[in-house]
Order: sequence, then C-alpha cells, then structure tokens
Amino acid sequence: MSTAISALDLSKRYGRVAAVNDISFDIAEGEIVGFLGPNGAGKTTTMRMLAGLVHPSTGSCSILGRPVPGASLREVGTMIEEPSFYPYMSGRANLRHAALLHGGVSTSRIDEVLEFVGMDLASRKRVSAYSQGMRQRLGLARALLWRPKVLILDEPTNGLDPVGIAEVRQMLLAVAKQGSTVLISSHILAEIEKLVERVLVIERGNLLYSGSLGGLLRRIEEQRVAYVLEAGDFASLERAVRELGLEVERRDEQRLRVAVAVAESATLISRLSALGVQLVEARREGDNLEGAYLRLLREDGRPS
Amino acid sequence: MSALAAVMQAELFKSLRKRRTYVLAGLLWLLLPALMLLLGRLMESNLGGSFVDEAELVRTLVHELASPFGIARAGLIGPSLLSPTFYIIAIALFAGFLMGEEKSHNMWKTVLVAQPKRAAILLGKLLVTMILLGALMAGALLSGLLFGTIGTLFLDTGFSGQWGELAQLYLLQWLYAGAAVSFAFLMIFMSRNVSLGMVLVFFLPALLEGLYAIYRATVGIQPLNRLNAVFQALELQVALEGLPRYFFTANLYAPSRRPLIDLLTPLGADFAADDNPLSSLLRADLSMSHSGLVMLGYATLFLLLLAWLFTRRDID
Repeated sequence: MSTAISALDLSKRYGRVAAVNDISFDIAEGEIVGFLGPNGAGKTTTMRMLAGLVHPSTGSCSILGRPVPGASLREVGTMIEEPSFYPYMSGRANLRHAALLHGGVSTSRIDEVLEFVGMDLASRKRVSAYSQGMRQRLGLARALLWRPKVLILDEPTNGLDPVGIAEVRQMLLAVAKQGSTVLISSHILAEIEKLVERVLVIERGNLLYSGSLGGLLRRIEEQRVAYVLEAGDFASLERAVRELGLEVERRDEQRLRVAVAVAESATLISRLSALGVQLVEARREGDNLEGAYLRLLREDGRPS
Repeated sequence: MSALAAVMQAELFKSLRKRRTYVLAGLLWLLLPALMLLLGRLMESNLGGSFVDEAELVRTLVHELASPFGIARAGLIGPSLLSPTFYIIAIALFAGFLMGEEKSHNMWKTVLVAQPKRAAILLGKLLVTMILLGALMAGALLSGLLFGTIGTLFLDTGFSGQWGELAQLYLLQWLYAGAAVSFAFLMIFMSRNVSLGMVLVFFLPALLEGLYAIYRATVGIQPLNRLNAVFQALELQVALEGLPRYFFTANLYAPSRRPLIDLLTPLGADFAADDNPLSSLLRADLSMSHSGLVMLGYATLFLLLLAWLFTRRDID
C-alpha cells in the first residue's frame, strides 16, 4: 500500500519556541489515523504544514508522494480548527465559491455533499444564521466537495451533540470505505477510539507514539492495571491496601480503586485474603484510550 | 480550467454578492449623473434670462456640465476631486473584501487549500479588482451618455465633444489605478487588518507627502543646514527638490484631472503661476507619459513586495 501522507523530520519554530519538533510519520492510503495531543501540543501546526498553509522551518512533508506545497494539495480536503465561511453568503453559495476556486466540481456534487451531511434543507440560509453544529457539518461538506483522496480534519466534531457526533463518525467511516485517507484530531477520545486503527500522539511538539491503537493500549496495560475493590468491611480493606503499599484512590463509601503492576495483579486477591479482607467484588477496569493517553502524557513528564 | 481562471470566476461570484459593489455603482452611475442633470437644469432656469444672462455663456456652461459628453466627463473628473477621492475609496473597498476578508473571516485556510497556487490566487484577485473598477468606470461613461441623452430632451445640449480623447483618458485612469490597487492590496495584506489597511490606503501617501511639505516649509532645501547637508553632499538636492513630481497622488489622478485643466485654461486659469491654489492640486506641469512611468514604477514596486509577502507568509 502506498503512502498518502508523509512527514520527514518536520519542525516549525517560532523564534525560540518549537511548535513542532522534528517529527516523522507515514500514513498509508486508505488509513484512518487519529492525531492526539493536549492543547498546544503541535497538532494544528502539523496539520497546517500538511495543508501547505505554514512553511516548515526544517524537514518536509508530502501528500500522495508529491511535495507540499504543490499540486498534490488539490487532492486534499481540510477542516482545520473551527470552519470559517463568508457570513453574508448562504451555505450553498459558500460551497459554490469553494467549488469554483478548486475547479472541476459540478453543481450536482454540491447538492450531493449537502445531502450527505444533512444540510440540504438549510443550505440557502445565510451562514451567519447557522448554529455551531451546522457550521461543522457545512465545513465537512466543503472538505468533501472535490472527492479528496486525503482528508485532514482538526476537531471535526467540535460543537456537535451526541447524535451529530455519531453521524459524523458514520460519515467518516463511509468516506474511508471509499478509499480516502483520513487524519483526524479530536479531544473526544472515545470517538477516536471508535473510528481509527492507528494513532499519533504528540506532546510539546514531539511525537510520543505512532502505531496501532491496540498497541498503545497494550503498552500502557503492560505497566499498570487498575482494580475496583469492594469489601464487606471497608476499613479492613483500606488498611490492607495501604499495608501492601498500593496506589489507592477512594471511589465512594464502599469502594476503592487500586493500581498495581501487571506482574503483581495475579496475586492481588490472594494477598488481600491473607490480610483478612473478604472481598465482595474485585473488578478489573477496562483500559480505554483516554486512560492510556493520559498515562502516556504523564510518562512524558506532563503534570496530570 | 486554469487556476487563474478558476480564481477569477470564484472571486467574481463573491463580488457580485457583496452589497458595497452595488452601492459604489449606484453612486457613480446614478447619483453623480442625476446631480449633473439637476445642476444643468438649475443653471439654465436660474441664469437664463437673469441679469447675468449672456445666452452663449450659459448655454456653453450647461453643455459643458450636463450634455452627454459633459456628464461622461464628470464621471471621470468627479471621483478624483474629493479627499480621499472616490477612486481610492472604491479601490480600498474592493481590496478590503477581495484581499482583507480572507483574514477577517479566517478564510485563507480554506481558500489556499481549495486553490493552493498562491500566485494564481493573488493575480486572480488583482485582476478581479481591476475588472470591477473597469466596470465601474465604463458604467460611469455609459451612464453619463444615457443621462445626458435624457437631458437633451429638456436642456439645450447636444452630443458634441471629444469622445475619443475622453475614452482614452478613462482607459489611462483605469490603468493608472492598477498602482493604487496593488498599493491597497499590499497595505491590507501587510497590516493583517482590513480597517487599518484601509486607513493606510487613504492617508499614508497624503501623510508622507505632507511630511515632505512640512520639511520643505520648516527646514527648507536651498540653504545649507545640518539636515539637508547630507542631500547636498550626495548631490541629491535636485532630486529632493523635484520629489513632488514623483508623488503618488500627484501622478495617480493625472488622466482624470487633465480634462479639468483643459476646461479651466480657456477660462483664464494660469496653472504655471505659483500662487494658483489649483496648481498643486491639478499638477498641470506633469505630462501623461511622465505620470504613466511613475505609476508603472509604483505598481512594479508594490506588486513585487506583495508577491514576495503573499507567497512566503504563513497562514495562522
């Protein structure tokens, strides 16, 4: 499978501050990749460099094997940060303007994308009257307008209600099924988890992780696992976990959450029993992307 | 379709949805010719038959102001006389929405992805501004003809006039305005703020020229003093004295102010005299070829700066 998006030693400096620091990654054609990182980590700057809006200080990037900026950007659809429009024009007129600018987009395609994002009925209203959710949908429609082979989406579900988020997810899955490559950043990690197979994690301009989503979860799981424990005698449970020197967090009046190394987890129950704790329930917490992501950032020295 | 054609089509599409395009056209195509007709009618009815009635003089004045040729000529001269002039206001407003709106509405990130060829974007926007300005000016010529024709129904006017020369001056003024368009684009893009950019377009040339006038009036150029000794040592004194001949505003409106000079000279105006207050405004001493070269120089400078800035700047 050939490479759709490639970044090689990509850096962007603003004076002494490195917004993006020497990152490299490849995304294969047809992949959906999540781009994770806290605010100010360098996600948007990286996406802007990939879209040819910001010139890298060093390094290079390419789309579909051709350098950026260049003609390959005509195969790219973007939605970077909050989508913006000419407010005095209708949604449809905004799409028409973008279509004319790009060239080679038929009027029927405008109708098609408007219908795809569920904006066909509101498309003749001025954009200034649109809600945040409507603007997000219209932004997505514009990104899809010229059937791009590569989609770069920065927080595409921002401002959407849960139904809207689920709809956008279905739309993106449908687009990816048609062979488009998608690089998507989002703060809603549960959404990323449902959408992508691979993630890139960036923090303070450095790429912390690039690999499969499962790999990220496993990497964390290998280090710590968490149990929620409930005992008939809560005081004895509390005393016992402290005696064992475990990381402990009180969940409520009856339950504690403890984190143990994977190697110790097999013996946790028997050690507690040995200390006289009668457990009512011991439930291993399912590790999710959010937990994994936050711990990955903590490993990097970021205060939690 | 080429990238340039695509950009021009898209920008024209946008321009036609902008109310200010129609407001400017309304002012120049309807208000100005209507006022000229009204003025002609007032002169004819109030001066004709009064004690100042010298039939031929009144008839000539009415013809010069409210005939088809007179109104068409006013459509060229009028916009260059106010301060800031109607031309520069129109150019700044066009540049404001064709070049500044992308910044104020955060649209560069969309425009430059839909059409990544920055040179095509810039050139397309410049050409569309020139087209809009050309349409505005051509409309002024045609509406002058139309309103003047209506005027012939109730005024003692005819169609005589130097139409070929007038059309040529319209064309020249339009070409000269190219320098002002590139200046407006540069100011608006450079300042990253439409309002500030427009203020700079309106007042920066006048400010610089005013500073020169203050320098000339206070320090003086002829006597040897600390400030102008440098110019004298570098033998640049003559250039410094001749600087007003290269001023932006003095040369920009040369084609549209030329008919006014031609109109006033037979009435006894002496533009060579230093004490004539109109001399510095109309700059009768500047030939059309001199002004053309100066404007070409300005346009080249502004366009080079603009192209350099536009292709290099990061879009944040």
